[in-house]
Amino acid sequence: MALIDDSAFCRELNEIADYIQSLRREISALQANDLRHKRIPAAGQELAAIVKATELASNTIMECAEAAMAADPSDPAAYKALVTERMTAVFEACAFQDITGQRVAKVIETLEHIEARVSRFADATGAKDANGPASDKEAAEVERKLRLFIHGPPLAGDGAGQAEIDKIIEGEAKSASQDDIDRLLA
Amino acid sequence: MSADVSMPILIVDDYKTMIRIIRNLLKQLGFEDVDEAADGSEALNKMRGRKYGLVISDWNMEPMTGYELLKEVRSDPALGKTPFIMVTAESKTENVIAAKKAGVNNYIVKPFNAQTLRSKIDAVFAD
Repeated sequence: MALIDDSAFCRELNEIADYIQSLRREISALQANDLRHKRIPAAGQELAAIVKATELASNTIMECAEAAMAADPSDPAAYKALVTERMTAVFEACAFQDITGQRVAKVIETLEHIEARVSRFADATGAKDANGPASDKEAAEVERKLRLFIHGPPLAGDGAGQAEIDKIIEGEAKSASQDDIDRLLA
Repeated sequence: MSADVSMPILIVDDYKTMIRIIRNLLKQLGFEDVDEAADGSEALNKMRGRKYGLVISDWNMEPMTGYELLKEVRSDPALGKTPFIMVTAESKTENVIAAKKAGVNNYIVKPFNAQTLRSKIDAVFAD
C-alpha cells in the first residue's frame, strides 16, 4: 500500500515539475524584460513625439491664421504676398500628418506584439483574470474617474451629439436611464 | 438680452492650443477681455480675485476638473451666479445630466465651431 502511495506521490511530483518547467518556458517566451525596458518605453516615446508634433503643427497653423486675419488689406500686393507666404507655411505644417501616421503605425505594431505574447501566455497557463484593480493606485484612479465622470473622448457614434446635448440642457430629453440615475445618486 | 462684449471671460483648459482656439473664436465674436486658467483650482483662485461675466471650462483636467469647479462655483455665494459653459469632449449622456444637475448653463461638445459657441453664449444670456 505504501509503495503505491509513493508511486502516485512521485508521479504527482513529476507532473508538478513538468508544469513548472512549462511555465518557465512560457514566462521566458513572454520576454517581459524586452517589453518593459525596450518596446513599451519606445512606444511611449513615439506617442510623446506625436503629441509634440501635433502641438507644433497646430501652433504654426494658428500663427499663420492669426497673421492673415490681422494683416492690413489696404495694400493689396503686400496683403497677397503675406497671405501666400502664410498659407504655404500652413501646407508645410500639415506634413506632420504623414510623420505621425508612421509613428502611430509603430505604436500599433508594439501593441500587437504585446497582445500576441500575452495571449500565448494566457492560453498556455490557463490564466484567469483576478477581479478588480491590480493596485491601490489603480483602484484610486478608477474611483476618481467614476466619481468625476471622466471617460475621455468617445469613439464615433458612442457619445451624445450636440443636438442631443441641447435637448438635455433645454430639458426636452427622454428620461435618464437607471444607470444614469444610479450614477448620479451614488 | 445679448452678451456684453466688454465682459471679462475666463477660459479654463489644460491644453494651451484649445485656449488659443477659444480665445480666437471669442475675439471673432467681439470679446477681447479674456483670461485663462489651466485647471479648476487655478480658475477658482482667479474667480476669487476678479468678477467674470462668463466661465468657459473644459471637463477633464487635473488636479481639479471642470465638473468640480462648477460645483465649487455654484456652492460659493459670491460666485454662484456666474454663467458657466462646459466645453468638453466628454459627451456621455450621464456627463451632461450631471453637469445640468450641478448648475451648468450650457454644454458644448468638442470639436465645435464659432457658430456653436456664439449660439450657446447667446442662449445663456437670453435666459
